[in-house]
Amino acid sequence: MKKLIAYRLVLALPQLALVSLLVFSLTYLIPGSPAAAILGVRATPEAIAQVEERLGLDQPALQRLGEWFANALGGDLGVSFASSLPVTDVILDRMPATLSLVLGGIVVALVFGVAMGVLAATRPGATDRAIAGATSVGLAVPEFWFGLVLSLLFAVQLGWAPIVAYTPFTEDPAGWLQGMILPSLSLGIGAGALIARQTRAAMTEALAAPYIDTLTAAGVPHRRIVLRYALKNAMVPVLASTGLTLRILIGSSFVVEQIFAFPGLGHLLLTSVIGKDFPVIQGGVLLIACLVIAMNLLIDVSYGLLNPKVRPQ
Amino acid sequence: MSETVSKTRKAAVPAAERPAGGSGAARAFGRVRRRPVALAAVVFLLLLLAAAVFAPLLAPYDPREQNYSSVLSGPSAEHLLGTDELGRDTLSRLVHGIRIALLVAFGSVGVAMVIGVPIGLLLGYRGGWWDRLGSRALDISDALPGLLVGFAVIAILGRGLLELMLAIGFIFCMSFARMTRAVALAEREKVYLDAAKVAGLRTPEILFRQVLPNLTGPLVVQAAVFMGSAIGVEAALSFLGLGLDAEEPTWGGMLSVAADEQARQPFLAFPPGLAIILSVLAFNLVSDGISDALGGARRKPAKRRARLGAKRTAEAAVVPAEPDALLEVRGVTVELEPPGGGRVPLVQDVSLTIGRGEVVGLLGESGSGKSMLARAVLGLLPPATRLASGTVLLDGREITGLSERELRAVRGRGISVVFQDPMTALSPVHTIGRQLSEPLRAHFGMSKAAARKRAAELLRRVGVENPESRLDDYPHQFSGGMAQRVAIALALAAEPRLLIADEATSALDVTTQSQVLDLLLELRDEFDMAVLLITHDLGVVAETCDRTAVMYAGQIVEVSDVRALFDRPRHPYTAALLAADPSGEVTDGRLPTIPGGVPLAGEWPSGCHFANRCAFSQEGCVAHPIPLADQVRCLRSADLTLGVVK
Repeated sequence: MKKLIAYRLVLALPQLALVSLLVFSLTYLIPGSPAAAILGVRATPEAIAQVEERLGLDQPALQRLGEWFANALGGDLGVSFASSLPVTDVILDRMPATLSLVLGGIVVALVFGVAMGVLAATRPGATDRAIAGATSVGLAVPEFWFGLVLSLLFAVQLGWAPIVAYTPFTEDPAGWLQGMILPSLSLGIGAGALIARQTRAAMTEALAAPYIDTLTAAGVPHRRIVLRYALKNAMVPVLASTGLTLRILIGSSFVVEQIFAFPGLGHLLLTSVIGKDFPVIQGGVLLIACLVIAMNLLIDVSYGLLNPKVRPQ
Repeated sequence: MSETVSKTRKAAVPAAERPAGGSGAARAFGRVRRRPVALAAVVFLLLLLAAAVFAPLLAPYDPREQNYSSVLSGPSAEHLLGTDELGRDTLSRLVHGIRIALLVAFGSVGVAMVIGVPIGLLLGYRGGWWDRLGSRALDISDALPGLLVGFAVIAILGRGLLELMLAIGFIFCMSFARMTRAVALAEREKVYLDAAKVAGLRTPEILFRQVLPNLTGPLVVQAAVFMGSAIGVEAALSFLGLGLDAEEPTWGGMLSVAADEQARQPFLAFPPGLAIILSVLAFNLVSDGISDALGGARRKPAKRRARLGAKRTAEAAVVPAEPDALLEVRGVTVELEPPGGGRVPLVQDVSLTIGRGEVVGLLGESGSGKSMLARAVLGLLPPATRLASGTVLLDGREITGLSERELRAVRGRGISVVFQDPMTALSPVHTIGRQLSEPLRAHFGMSKAAARKRAAELLRRVGVENPESRLDDYPHQFSGGMAQRVAIALALAAEPRLLIADEATSALDVTTQSQVLDLLLELRDEFDMAVLLITHDLGVVAETCDRTAVMYAGQIVEVSDVRALFDRPRHPYTAALLAADPSGEVTDGRLPTIPGGVPLAGEWPSGCHFANRCAFSQEGCVAHPIPLADQVRCLRSADLTLGVVK
């Protein structure tokens, strides 16, 4: 297992390096003068010069790259234009809310998705068709729209205001959980439909496998075979594509948090994009990429736990 | 020269793999047409396209026209879908929104394809270092959520329609590159490209003339999905205020207003929301339809096994059970019911008795129905097949038509089975200790610890070394022969009275095969169980069995003691089988064979199934079904003396 983790870590390094390089070159990709683009057409030459200096654009690119990497490794991602605070602090401040939301979303998605997928695969006919229809719609519903409808229903119509307020976990775990329900539901619904489809296909495959006959012929109860054996086998391909699902969830969380006034990364990034606060955008992209890479690593390792064949002997 | 090339190409590409262009596309379209849901989605998208083109005619108002005398009104005669916070007509904005949605969908997917496809073609076709480095670069898309890429692109380029298309296009281009690379890589390996290279086609020509057509299908499927996604992403970006100007009628922008005004006019959320859902759904359904039509149809879950409620033949029901018999199979007929209707018999009127502790062989070529018979006995018939008639008695007790719960007690404890391929017969993701424990816990209610202890004993008994430590191993850590021993241990766990070995040694090499057979015989004595040995191998029968039933095309044609079977076969098929056995003496230097082939299920004649291959058939043989009389199904058994015909 340690070998597997080490191997995946080594694989993740070039990916991280490439992402860093991409993030670094973002400011060079701005057409024309980046400083002018950031400040707008009426900027004074002094202001432009000042911004160029802050972005380091007055120095040779290679030297800047070296400095940038060295600083990034030390956790220094520069200073926000808008707030003059260190980018790392600004972003890490928003991380808990985003992580809470993504965690809630993946829990909802897995619970709904796996349950629906198993149901569809084990009840052909009307149930299967109904779930197929529901997942098709689920895949088409924008997460933020579903969130808006939930908010309309619960906060506006029913007047359950506290249910749409975010409370940090460290302050009040019960309040945190309450505030998590609707956002998690709206975020998880689309990913849940995706997982339901994958689970259905994988379960159908698994239920037709010879080992199911072996266990049936040995007199093992059908329910146990479905839930312990077919399901675990089916989870192998489902888990393999969870990386994609998580990536979609993180992206969607940026939009969903707007509906529920969640103090996550989405709002920060949004204001930074509008205000052209490049240090924050760069830092955000880099840190989110690190987060995704770490999650992929975790998925790979749990994949190794689930599927003994990929474990190095 | 070009003549030769085109011929080579045609010859080298099998019909099924030929590029989906031309008539292939027409065929695919024909198949899409036959799917009502996909067809409805296509019609919906065409209507949407028409509405986009004629938006100014369809919209009752100017989508940007503000009217402060009618703000946030609900649906009314004047404003069918109400108005927003500036009094703009929702219906008009919705209809004009189609234009932007479709424009962005087509534009962004176009951008993604223009960037992604050439990259993928290059990497996949070039291979080597290009591919290794390029694929690594593509892997960074695994680390970046799509929306984040969109944010970054808009931060760099600013807001606007073209910028929106580029931003969304960049999100998708990696996927197109990867998919194209995979297809190009696969095509590269195919023979016809080599043929084309030899014929002197240049690389770009090969890429575009030969690889691209094979890409069309997957590309179209992918493009349709991404057009739907693009509508979703555009809505999200516009909702966040990163898309077009708030003045412009976009669905996402309308939802942004709806979110701000949710307390005052909840209805605002629904028209644009439903528009997005329906359009995305339509693109997804079209994609599914095309994908199915191109042959990637989704697998349907199998129907649960039908209850084994066979109509018992009147005769079978009245005959009392034989006192010595452990298993009595009487008049069993298994039928396949194909989805198109009709019935095809797979096993016909089979009767067989197995005594306590007896080893009976069931001998037949593949397709003779012997495995189907075994499955019928266990109540394990595959989907779409059913026990049409007949009865199965175990220890004098009827076991057809039992409920799932009642069958559970019979399976494993009464009758157990070992299948042919031990590697697929064991779950790859569970330890063998876990799997061995299952029947012990199910039948004896053992605790985890007790079951584990017993599992180790069983493993030792079947000849697995270091059983305690091997309990924690997975099936792929065993060799074929060892895995089959594990499967036998699993079948033995609940101490069955009858073990069915369904070609259990056929996948093993000869040495391992005889070891496993010896093991089965030892276990028979030790556990005092009977064995039904299903095989196509005469040698296996000769080595192990007391009695043998010979099956041909769904029927048992002869039952006899093994010795008698080899010395004095009574059915011409048995005799021919013995003569064709390569282990027998070969007199004229050529391997004798039975002329002709086993007729397929559904093509069985009404008379003797073997008649058309039989050297002794007469007119009467083909007229009527031949009954099994005195353990042989042959009209002429009395007047034929069959040695082993050489």
